Amino acid sequence: MVRSVCPSVSQCPRTRPGAWQSPANTPTAQGTGSPIPALRLPHCQRVSTEGVPHCQRVKKMAERPEDLNLPNAVITRIIKEALPDGVNVSKEARSAISRAASVFVLYATSCANNFAMKSKRKTLSASDVLAAMEEMEFDRFITPLKDALEAYKREQKGKKEASEQKKKDKKPESEEHDKNKEDENEDDTEGVKMVDDDQKETENEEEEVEN
Amino acid sequence: MEEMESGATAAAEPGQSLQLEAEAERPGSAPLQHKLLRLPLSRIKGLMKADPDVSLASQEAVFAIGKATELFVEVIAKDAYTSALQGKRKTIQRKDVDNAVDATDEFAFLEGTLD
Repeated sequence: MVRSVCPSVSQCPRTRPGAWQSPANTPTAQGTGSPIPALRLPHCQRVSTEGVPHCQRVKKMAERPEDLNLPNAVITRIIKEALPDGVNVSKEARSAISRAASVFVLYATSCANNFAMKSKRKTLSASDVLAAMEEMEFDRFITPLKDALEAYKREQKGKKEASEQKKKDKKPESEEHDKNKEDENEDDTEGVKMVDDDQKETENEEEEVEN
Repeated sequence: MEEMESGATAAAEPGQSLQLEAEAERPGSAPLQHKLLRLPLSRIKGLMKADPDVSLASQEAVFAIGKATELFVEVIAKDAYTSALQGKRKTIQRKDVDNAVDATDEFAFLEGTLD
Protein backbone atom coordinates (compact mmCIF):
# COMPACT_ATOMS: atom_id res chain seq x y z
CA MET A 1 0.00 0.00 0.00
CA VAL A 2 1.36 3.39 -0.95
CA ARG A 3 1.93 5.75 1.93
CA SER A 4 1.60 9.18 0.42
CA VAL A 5 2.97 12.30 1.97
CA CYS A 6 -0.18 14.12 2.87
CA PRO A 7 -0.32 17.60 4.39
CA SER A 8 -3.15 16.68 6.72
CA VAL A 9 -2.03 13.21 7.73
CA SER A 10 -3.94 13.26 11.00
CA GLN A 11 -7.20 13.88 9.17
CA CYS A 12 -6.44 11.53 6.34
CA PRO A 13 -8.60 8.38 6.52
CA ARG A 14 -5.86 6.39 4.93
CA THR A 15 -3.35 6.98 7.68
CA ARG A 16 -5.68 7.52 10.59
CA PRO A 17 -6.33 4.35 12.63
CA GLY A 18 -9.94 3.29 12.76
CA ALA A 19 -12.72 2.18 10.50
CA TRP A 20 -13.37 3.02 6.91
CA GLN A 21 -16.00 5.73 6.86
CA SER A 22 -18.43 6.83 4.24
CA PRO A 23 -17.57 10.37 3.10
CA ALA A 24 -20.83 11.66 4.53
CA ASN A 25 -19.35 11.14 7.95
CA THR A 26 -15.98 12.70 7.34
CA PRO A 27 -15.50 16.23 8.67
CA THR A 28 -14.99 17.84 5.26
CA ALA A 29 -18.23 16.43 3.85
CA GLN A 30 -20.66 18.52 5.81
CA GLY A 31 -22.35 21.06 3.48
CA THR A 32 -19.47 23.30 2.62
CA GLY A 33 -20.70 24.05 -0.88
CA SER A 34 -17.27 23.38 -2.32
CA PRO A 35 -16.52 20.12 -4.16
CA ILE A 36 -16.51 17.36 -1.61
CA PRO A 37 -13.57 14.96 -1.69
CA ALA A 38 -15.38 11.67 -1.64
CA LEU A 39 -12.74 9.06 -2.13
CA ARG A 40 -10.83 7.34 0.57
CA LEU A 41 -7.55 8.78 -0.67
CA PRO A 42 -5.10 11.23 0.88
CA HIS A 43 -6.33 14.80 0.60
CA CYS A 44 -3.64 15.64 -1.91
CA GLN A 45 -5.01 12.95 -4.25
CA ARG A 46 -8.74 13.24 -3.79
CA VAL A 47 -11.07 13.68 -6.72
CA SER A 48 -14.50 15.18 -6.36
CA THR A 49 -17.19 12.67 -7.26
CA GLU A 50 -20.30 14.27 -5.84
CA GLY A 51 -23.31 13.94 -8.15
CA VAL A 52 -21.33 12.26 -10.92
CA PRO A 53 -22.78 9.09 -12.54
CA HIS A 54 -20.98 5.99 -11.31
CA CYS A 55 -19.39 5.01 -14.63
CA GLN A 56 -17.70 8.38 -14.78
CA ARG A 57 -16.71 8.11 -11.14
CA VAL A 58 -14.99 4.89 -11.97
CA LYS A 59 -12.97 6.69 -14.62
CA LYS A 60 -11.97 9.33 -12.11
CA MET A 61 -11.05 6.72 -9.53
CA ALA A 62 -8.96 4.98 -12.14
CA GLU A 63 -6.82 8.09 -12.57
CA ARG A 64 -4.65 7.13 -9.63
CA PRO A 65 -2.77 4.05 -10.87
CA GLU A 66 -0.30 3.86 -7.99
CA ASP A 67 -3.06 3.20 -5.53
CA LEU A 68 -5.16 0.90 -7.63
CA ASN A 69 -2.79 -1.69 -9.03
CA LEU A 70 -3.09 -5.43 -8.85
CA PRO A 71 0.13 -7.43 -8.46
CA ASN A 72 1.94 -7.53 -11.81
CA ALA A 73 3.31 -11.03 -11.36
CA VAL A 74 -0.15 -12.46 -10.79
CA ILE A 75 -1.65 -10.62 -13.74
CA THR A 76 1.19 -11.81 -15.96
CA ARG A 77 0.62 -15.35 -14.79
CA ILE A 78 -3.09 -15.27 -15.51
CA ILE A 79 -2.41 -13.86 -18.98
CA LYS A 80 0.22 -16.50 -19.76
CA GLU A 81 -1.98 -19.33 -18.58
CA ALA A 82 -4.80 -18.11 -20.82
CA LEU A 83 -2.64 -18.13 -23.93
CA PRO A 84 -0.86 -20.85 -25.85
CA ASP A 85 2.85 -21.45 -25.22
CA GLY A 86 5.24 -19.26 -27.10
CA VAL A 87 3.02 -16.20 -27.15
CA ASN A 88 4.66 -13.09 -25.77
CA VAL A 89 3.07 -10.09 -24.24
CA SER A 90 4.74 -6.69 -24.38
CA LYS A 91 5.22 -4.73 -21.22
CA GLU A 92 2.82 -2.05 -22.40
CA ALA A 93 0.15 -4.60 -23.21
CA ARG A 94 0.54 -6.22 -19.78
CA SER A 95 0.29 -2.87 -18.12
CA ALA A 96 -2.83 -2.01 -20.08
CA ILE A 97 -4.45 -5.31 -19.16
CA SER A 98 -3.55 -4.81 -15.51
CA ARG A 99 -5.06 -1.37 -15.62
CA ALA A 100 -8.16 -2.75 -17.27
CA ALA A 101 -8.44 -5.34 -14.51
CA SER A 102 -8.36 -2.65 -11.83
CA VAL A 103 -11.01 -0.67 -13.64
CA PHE A 104 -13.05 -3.83 -13.90
CA VAL A 105 -12.91 -4.30 -10.14
CA LEU A 106 -14.05 -0.73 -9.57
CA TYR A 107 -16.85 -0.93 -12.09
CA ALA A 108 -18.06 -4.35 -10.97
CA THR A 109 -17.98 -3.24 -7.35
CA SER A 110 -19.95 -0.13 -8.14
CA CYS A 111 -22.50 -2.14 -10.07
CA ALA A 112 -22.79 -4.78 -7.35
CA ASN A 113 -23.19 -2.06 -4.79
CA ASN A 114 -26.18 -0.67 -6.66
CA PHE A 115 -27.89 -4.02 -6.23
CA ALA A 116 -27.08 -4.10 -2.53
CA MET A 117 -28.45 -0.59 -2.11
CA LYS A 118 -31.61 -1.53 -4.00
CA SER A 119 -32.18 -4.30 -1.47
CA LYS A 120 -31.41 -1.83 1.31
CA ARG A 121 -28.37 -3.78 2.43
CA LYS A 122 -25.08 -2.24 3.40
CA THR A 123 -23.01 -5.34 2.89
CA LEU A 124 -22.14 -6.48 -0.62
CA SER A 125 -22.97 -10.12 -1.14
CA ALA A 126 -21.86 -12.65 -3.72
CA SER A 127 -25.33 -12.53 -5.26
CA ASP A 128 -24.91 -8.80 -5.79
CA VAL A 129 -21.74 -9.54 -7.69
CA LEU A 130 -23.52 -12.15 -9.82
CA ALA A 131 -26.30 -9.68 -10.54
CA ALA A 132 -23.66 -7.13 -11.50
CA MET A 133 -22.12 -9.53 -14.00
CA GLU A 134 -25.46 -9.92 -15.71
CA GLU A 135 -25.97 -6.16 -15.69
CA MET A 136 -22.53 -5.60 -17.19
CA GLU A 137 -23.35 -8.18 -19.87
CA PHE A 138 -20.71 -10.64 -18.68
CA ASP A 139 -23.18 -13.52 -18.68
CA ARG A 140 -20.43 -15.89 -19.71
CA PHE A 141 -18.85 -15.36 -16.31
CA ILE A 142 -21.89 -16.38 -14.32
CA THR A 143 -21.59 -20.17 -14.47
CA PRO A 144 -17.85 -20.37 -13.78
CA LEU A 145 -18.28 -17.80 -11.05
CA LYS A 146 -21.03 -19.82 -9.39
CA ASP A 147 -18.89 -22.95 -9.57
CA ALA A 148 -15.95 -21.15 -8.04
CA LEU A 149 -18.15 -19.75 -5.29
CA GLU A 150 -19.38 -23.23 -4.41
CA ALA A 151 -15.82 -24.45 -4.15
CA TYR A 152 -14.87 -21.41 -2.10
CA LYS A 153 -17.74 -21.93 0.32
CA ARG A 154 -16.74 -25.56 0.76
CA GLU A 155 -13.19 -24.51 1.46
CA GLN A 156 -14.26 -21.91 3.99
CA LYS A 157 -16.49 -24.44 5.69
CA GLY A 158 -13.65 -26.93 5.80
CA LYS A 159 -11.31 -24.38 7.31
CA LYS A 160 -13.85 -23.40 9.91
CA GLU A 161 -14.49 -26.97 10.91
CA ALA A 162 -10.77 -27.64 11.11
CA SER A 163 -10.15 -24.76 13.47
CA GLU A 164 -13.15 -25.70 15.58
CA GLN A 165 -11.79 -29.22 15.88
CA LYS A 166 -8.47 -27.84 17.06
CA LYS A 167 -10.19 -25.75 19.69
CA LYS A 168 -12.36 -28.58 20.94
CA ASP A 169 -9.87 -31.38 21.29
CA LYS A 170 -6.84 -30.09 23.09
CA LYS A 171 -6.62 -33.20 25.30
CA PRO A 172 -3.54 -35.39 24.75
CA GLU A 173 -5.62 -38.58 24.17
CA SER A 174 -7.49 -37.05 21.26
CA GLU A 175 -4.41 -35.49 19.67
CA GLU A 176 -3.72 -38.46 17.47
CA HIS A 177 -7.31 -38.69 16.40
CA ASP A 178 -7.11 -34.99 15.62
CA LYS A 179 -4.03 -35.31 13.47
CA ASN A 180 -5.84 -37.72 11.18
CA LYS A 181 -8.79 -35.37 10.87
CA GLU A 182 -6.53 -32.40 10.23
CA ASP A 183 -4.72 -34.22 7.47
CA GLU A 184 -8.00 -34.94 5.75
CA ASN A 185 -9.01 -31.33 6.01
CA GLU A 186 -5.66 -30.10 4.74
CA ASP A 187 -6.01 -32.16 1.60
CA ASP A 188 -9.30 -30.47 0.89
CA THR A 189 -8.34 -26.95 1.76
CA GLU A 190 -4.72 -26.60 0.74
CA GLY A 191 -5.61 -26.69 -2.90
CA VAL A 192 -7.59 -23.51 -2.59
CA LYS A 193 -5.22 -21.36 -0.64
CA MET A 194 -4.47 -18.13 -2.42
CA VAL A 195 -1.76 -15.58 -2.45
CA ASP A 196 1.92 -14.97 -2.64
CA ASP A 197 3.84 -18.12 -2.03
CA ASP A 198 1.73 -19.73 -4.68
CA GLN A 199 4.63 -21.38 -6.47
CA LYS A 200 5.70 -23.29 -3.42
CA GLU A 201 2.20 -24.44 -2.68
CA THR A 202 1.54 -25.44 -6.27
CA GLU A 203 4.48 -27.82 -6.23
CA ASN A 204 3.40 -29.38 -2.96
CA GLU A 205 -0.16 -29.76 -4.12
CA GLU A 206 0.87 -31.46 -7.30
CA GLU A 207 2.76 -34.04 -5.34
CA GLU A 208 -0.16 -34.71 -3.06
CA VAL A 209 -2.68 -35.03 -5.84
CA GLU A 210 -0.53 -37.46 -7.76
CA ASN A 211 -0.26 -39.64 -4.68
CA MET B 1 -7.40 -32.83 -18.67
CA GLU B 2 -3.86 -33.01 -20.00
CA GLU B 3 -4.82 -30.55 -22.71
CA MET B 4 -4.41 -27.83 -20.18
CA GLU B 5 -0.67 -28.45 -20.09
CA SER B 6 -0.10 -28.29 -23.83
CA GLY B 7 -2.02 -25.07 -24.05
CA ALA B 8 -4.33 -26.55 -26.66
CA THR B 9 -7.36 -25.44 -24.73
CA ALA B 10 -6.49 -21.80 -25.16
CA ALA B 11 -9.30 -21.67 -27.67
CA ALA B 12 -11.67 -23.69 -25.50
CA GLU B 13 -14.73 -22.21 -23.85
CA PRO B 14 -13.73 -20.14 -20.88
CA GLY B 15 -16.38 -21.89 -18.81
CA GLN B 16 -14.86 -25.27 -19.54
CA SER B 17 -11.35 -24.51 -18.44
CA LEU B 18 -12.64 -22.85 -15.33
CA GLN B 19 -14.79 -25.78 -14.36
CA LEU B 20 -11.64 -27.84 -14.45
CA GLU B 21 -10.08 -25.31 -12.18
CA ALA B 22 -12.87 -25.58 -9.67
CA GLU B 23 -13.07 -29.36 -9.80
CA ALA B 24 -9.37 -29.97 -9.59
CA GLU B 25 -9.46 -30.03 -5.81
CA ARG B 26 -10.39 -33.67 -5.92
CA PRO B 27 -7.46 -36.04 -5.86
CA GLY B 28 -6.90 -37.77 -9.16
CA SER B 29 -7.96 -34.84 -11.33
CA ALA B 30 -5.55 -32.60 -13.25
CA PRO B 31 -3.21 -30.86 -10.83
CA LEU B 32 -2.62 -27.73 -12.95
CA GLN B 33 -4.49 -24.53 -12.15
CA HIS B 34 -6.19 -25.96 -9.10
CA LYS B 35 -5.84 -22.69 -7.27
CA LEU B 36 -9.24 -21.21 -6.79
CA LEU B 37 -8.02 -17.63 -6.86
CA ARG B 38 -4.64 -16.24 -7.83
CA LEU B 39 -5.29 -12.59 -7.08
CA PRO B 40 -4.85 -11.69 -3.41
CA LEU B 41 -8.14 -11.03 -1.62
CA SER B 42 -6.57 -8.18 0.35
CA ARG B 43 -5.78 -6.20 -2.80
CA ILE B 44 -9.21 -6.77 -4.26
CA LYS B 45 -10.74 -5.60 -1.03
CA GLY B 46 -8.51 -2.52 -1.04
CA LEU B 47 -9.68 -1.62 -4.52
CA MET B 48 -13.31 -2.11 -3.57
CA LYS B 49 -12.84 0.24 -0.66
CA ALA B 50 -11.85 3.02 -3.06
CA ASP B 51 -15.53 3.40 -3.78
CA PRO B 52 -17.02 5.75 -1.19
CA ASP B 53 -20.45 4.15 -1.45
CA VAL B 54 -19.17 0.74 -0.46
CA SER B 55 -19.17 0.24 3.28
CA LEU B 56 -18.92 -3.50 3.72
CA ALA B 57 -18.44 -6.51 1.53
CA SER B 58 -18.77 -10.15 2.52
CA GLN B 59 -15.75 -12.33 2.03
CA GLU B 60 -17.66 -14.21 -0.66
CA ALA B 61 -18.34 -10.96 -2.47
CA VAL B 62 -14.65 -10.06 -2.44
CA PHE B 63 -13.83 -13.52 -3.69
CA ALA B 64 -16.48 -13.24 -6.42
CA ILE B 65 -15.12 -9.91 -7.62
CA GLY B 66 -11.61 -11.34 -7.61
CA LYS B 67 -12.66 -14.41 -9.55
CA ALA B 68 -14.62 -12.33 -12.06
CA THR B 69 -11.54 -10.16 -12.52
CA GLU B 70 -9.41 -13.20 -13.29
CA LEU B 71 -11.99 -14.33 -15.85
CA PHE B 72 -11.94 -10.85 -17.30
CA VAL B 73 -8.15 -10.85 -17.65
CA GLU B 74 -8.33 -14.19 -19.43
CA VAL B 75 -10.94 -12.94 -21.86
CA ILE B 76 -9.20 -9.70 -22.69
CA ALA B 77 -5.86 -11.49 -23.09
CA LYS B 78 -7.41 -13.95 -25.53
CA ASP B 79 -9.13 -11.19 -27.48
CA ALA B 80 -5.88 -9.24 -27.66
CA TYR B 81 -4.17 -12.39 -28.88
CA THR B 82 -6.73 -12.69 -31.67
CA SER B 83 -5.84 -9.18 -32.71
CA ALA B 84 -2.12 -10.02 -32.69
CA LEU B 85 -2.77 -13.07 -34.84
CA GLN B 86 -4.59 -10.91 -37.33
CA GLY B 87 -1.50 -8.72 -37.43
CA LYS B 88 0.55 -11.92 -37.98
CA ARG B 89 2.44 -11.38 -34.74
CA LYS B 90 3.20 -13.66 -31.84
CA THR B 91 3.73 -10.80 -29.47
CA ILE B 92 0.71 -9.07 -28.07
CA GLN B 93 1.14 -5.32 -28.17
CA ARG B 94 -0.71 -2.44 -26.60
CA LYS B 95 -2.65 -1.82 -29.80
CA ASP B 96 -3.98 -5.37 -29.62
CA VAL B 97 -5.44 -4.59 -26.22
CA ASP B 98 -6.97 -1.41 -27.64
CA ASN B 99 -8.43 -3.38 -30.52
CA ALA B 100 -9.90 -5.90 -28.10
CA VAL B 101 -11.57 -3.10 -26.17
CA ASP B 102 -12.96 -1.51 -29.31
CA ALA B 103 -14.23 -4.80 -30.69
CA THR B 104 -16.36 -5.80 -27.71
CA ASP B 105 -19.44 -3.99 -26.44
CA GLU B 106 -18.97 -5.27 -22.92
CA PHE B 107 -15.59 -3.56 -22.76
CA ALA B 108 -17.04 -0.14 -23.42
CA PHE B 109 -16.62 0.77 -19.75
CA LEU B 110 -12.87 0.69 -20.32
CA GLU B 111 -12.83 3.46 -22.87
CA GLY B 112 -10.69 6.35 -21.78
CA THR B 113 -9.38 4.54 -18.71
CA LEU B 114 -6.30 2.82 -20.08
CA ASP B 115 -4.23 5.89 -20.89
